[in-house]
Amino acid sequence: MIPVEDIRARAKDLLQSGKVRAVLGYRRSTAGLLAEPAFMTTADETAALVLDPTCVGNLALYLVNEKKRMKHARQSDKRPLGIVAKGCDSRAITVLLQENHIRRDEVIVLGVSCETGGMIDTRKLNKALRGKGATSAHFEGEGGVRVSYVGGGTILPGKDVLADRCLECAKSYPLDADFFFGEKVDERPYGPRFAAVSAIAEKGSEERSAFWDAHFERCIRCYACRAVCPMCYCDECVVDSTNFIVGPTTSADEKADRVRWINRSATPSENAMYHMVRAMHLAGRCIDCGECERVCPVNIPLRLLNTMLEREALEMFQYTPGIDAEQPSLISSFRDGDPNDFVR
Amino acid sequence: MSENVYLPQLARIVHIKDEVPGARAIKTFRVEFMNGGGFDHEPGQCAMISVFGKGESMISIASAPTITDYKQFSIMRSGRVTTAIHDMKVGDVIGVRGPYGNKFPVSDWKGRNLVFIGGGCGLAPIWPVIQTAVANRMDFDKITVFYGGRTSRDIMYAAELEKLRGQADVHLSIDSPEEGWEGYCGFVPANVMDKPQRPDNAIAITCGPPIMIKFVISNLREMGFADEQIYTTIENKMKCGIGKCGRCNVGTDYVCVKGPVYSWAQLKSLPQEY
Amino acid sequence: MEAILKRNRLGQWITELQERAEIYAPDFVEDTWEFAKVGRGATVELNHSNTVRPAKRFVFPQREVLYRFRIENSQSPKLTDTEPKVESTVVFGVRPCDGRAMVRNDRVFTCGFSDPYYQARHDNVVFVGLACNAPPSQNCFCVSVGGSPHSEDGLDVLMTELDGRYHVKALTDKGSDIVRSAGDLFQDVKAADMDDVGNAHAIALEYSQRSISSMEAVAAALRRNFDSPIWDKLARACIGCGACTYLCPSCHCFDINDEVTNKSPLTGARVRTWDNCQFPDFTMHSSGHNPREDTGARLRQRICHKLLYFVETHNMQQCTGCGRCITHCPVGIDIVKIANVMEEGVWQ
Repeated sequence: MIPVEDIRARAKDLLQSGKVRAVLGYRRSTAGLLAEPAFMTTADETAALVLDPTCVGNLALYLVNEKKRMKHARQSDKRPLGIVAKGCDSRAITVLLQENHIRRDEVIVLGVSCETGGMIDTRKLNKALRGKGATSAHFEGEGGVRVSYVGGGTILPGKDVLADRCLECAKSYPLDADFFFGEKVDERPYGPRFAAVSAIAEKGSEERSAFWDAHFERCIRCYACRAVCPMCYCDECVVDSTNFIVGPTTSADEKADRVRWINRSATPSENAMYHMVRAMHLAGRCIDCGECERVCPVNIPLRLLNTMLEREALEMFQYTPGIDAEQPSLISSFRDGDPNDFVR
Repeated sequence: MSENVYLPQLARIVHIKDEVPGARAIKTFRVEFMNGGGFDHEPGQCAMISVFGKGESMISIASAPTITDYKQFSIMRSGRVTTAIHDMKVGDVIGVRGPYGNKFPVSDWKGRNLVFIGGGCGLAPIWPVIQTAVANRMDFDKITVFYGGRTSRDIMYAAELEKLRGQADVHLSIDSPEEGWEGYCGFVPANVMDKPQRPDNAIAITCGPPIMIKFVISNLREMGFADEQIYTTIENKMKCGIGKCGRCNVGTDYVCVKGPVYSWAQLKSLPQEY
Repeated sequence: MEAILKRNRLGQWITELQERAEIYAPDFVEDTWEFAKVGRGATVELNHSNTVRPAKRFVFPQREVLYRFRIENSQSPKLTDTEPKVESTVVFGVRPCDGRAMVRNDRVFTCGFSDPYYQARHDNVVFVGLACNAPPSQNCFCVSVGGSPHSEDGLDVLMTELDGRYHVKALTDKGSDIVRSAGDLFQDVKAADMDDVGNAHAIALEYSQRSISSMEAVAAALRRNFDSPIWDKLARACIGCGACTYLCPSCHCFDINDEVTNKSPLTGARVRTWDNCQFPDFTMHSSGHNPREDTGARLRQRICHKLLYFVETHNMQQCTGCGRCITHCPVGIDIVKIANVMEEGVWQ
């Protein structure tokens, strides 16, 4: 159990001393149960900071977005950003470091451990509460999650309401933090890693194909999965028909010759192509924060695609992304002993 | 079945003229409608040009409304569709649908002095207005045309502008001096300042790069032109041309329907999202 | 035209309608409510909260082929019109907010130039609304934007569930037609039924919803605060996805692209697809200039279009208070909060 006052005090101190230009954390949202991102720039604002199982978002996304925003607005406050990061979020920060997208001194990590808990999946919660809208959720340690709703409250076992990624989480605390809150717990009372993807991977190819066809058919290509992903930071993306990095020197031919690999039409084949491309580009990079799956309005189990490739990376190359900022990323490295000869 | 507003008419390119060379080349395409098609237009209106397989672009109609057997479009090579049309030859077929948008209220300006101020490819949208004014020369008092390009090679409609000299005062400019250039050297707004225009009974019509328009308007205001005496035309990304797709939306207006022609007084009341 | 339908006869009504139309109703797919085609003999419960995707797709599908083109070696192009030949469709379980959104969509697609694709689909679809009797979802605010849990606007039929039966009110000729065609299934409405309807509607209005106190004041505040730095602050967390607008029942923006299926002879289709003012490339000119180049400007556009511009043009909000954009925003951006913040003018 992390006393949220400790995090508030630290955030307040960082802002008061001027060591950071802002602290990224969580606060209550008017939109619903889940906490929303908070960009705190004054010490007073830290009073609203919260930490509980509703803080599902991966704020590492904003390290990327803020960098783009600052560049765009021609702002040049060189002070680092403070960021509240759970285990998964901190692995995302590490991947960004591995890929030289940010420097370590650009960020001050307020690492929080999920200990034996995790983040709730609102769909599971709605089901468990049979439609009663939850108003708050708190860790009760191994007991599960204490949930309040209008006219009552209950304690639900973690396995019933926590997000799949949390149930499978192998490291529920940050490995790289400037300040650390909570306890490092390595024994977690839930299922094994890759449980969900293994269940689907065991099925025959026809069954899997039908499974994904049905899901991709429902995709509306809102790109929430791409937009929320801290690893999807490219200035240009293969699915966009326009080139976002047009400047005064971009020639007409460059613009005209841009290939449309994927049509805008949300047809099953185009949708499948989009999701496959995204998954492939996340191979060895996805740290399983599960945000893509959470934000999908039509509930496509996108996390399965990415964890499948994560499993492959582990099995084939004994590689886990986001563990060590000094480690070369999977795709940009090779070993002399590689069984394939194309690297030699 | 009602008439399908999205279906273009086919038109054959009958003449292509190179106006400006370079990476952002401008060519003028003369097209004739096929299968007895066609439409009338007013000065300032636009049309959606289709290159099948590439897409559509909204282009202002550069020919005079009185010309009925063809339409002309002066197009800068800029993106997917405009590059494709630049690569087309005489005899090739494009799609055209329109006319779209509002018009310059030329008939309201009878008896007035007209001051046209264009820069770069911004001469094309106001060219049909100039043509209309000149064709009805007796209806108007003084007609003055300012136009400038970066260099002498960037002057479009060069021959047409020369022909205009008998009926209007024409003041050409290029950004910096060149051997053999007899006109003004400097930016278009400066050229206008150099030859101050009297605001009494006058209407100023300007089109060009946004930065030029900004300074031209500021200079005109300094000379005493009221917001209602200044007209310009704006562009925004467009897809449908008929006020549905939402791309060109600025405040309450869909530029493809309510625009592209605005008086400065009208434009000031819109958000600056163009 | 009003009638009473026993609850256990709903299935029969649908079966009879299936003889002449495709029937859609909300179905619980992958833990979400979606309009799905009702198979022969399938049960329709009509006990859904609102569907994730709105009913607009029946008149404005995400993908519409406008026409096909084909160019045989340097001959002139052949264009084939593909105005939709739409099967008759009856959609059950449309919530009043989606019905009211249809009135807004009609304004866009039929004013000025009439859109033949929208029109063809609209002519062939019957929207059977279902009044909201249960407590609203957490982000419903239909009353604040001039609607109600039993608004009839934009619907062809409004059903209100009563104890063991539905009150069925036909609102248009299309609506009367589907009721009359199965006339023997229905019973006459008695005074007691009307009392029950009145009660059900009154109770629904008693439930508390999220609220915006004055839409006039909000519009004025939006006009006043166009250049305010508050927009950047409100949009700071926005990730620029399209969930809000794609799930909106009245967002209508679209893109048009050519989809080439064969290079020689050049064959393909001109296709329109939903598009979205929150995507960065939506307004980007070919030159790279972008009139709305940051998330603040884009959020402002979405909110102002719904609560200010559309009001000035059509005298109604282009928002019917369904709350989808709030519920499904990945980062909690909340149009109700924004409207209230604007009106109250409380921000740092």
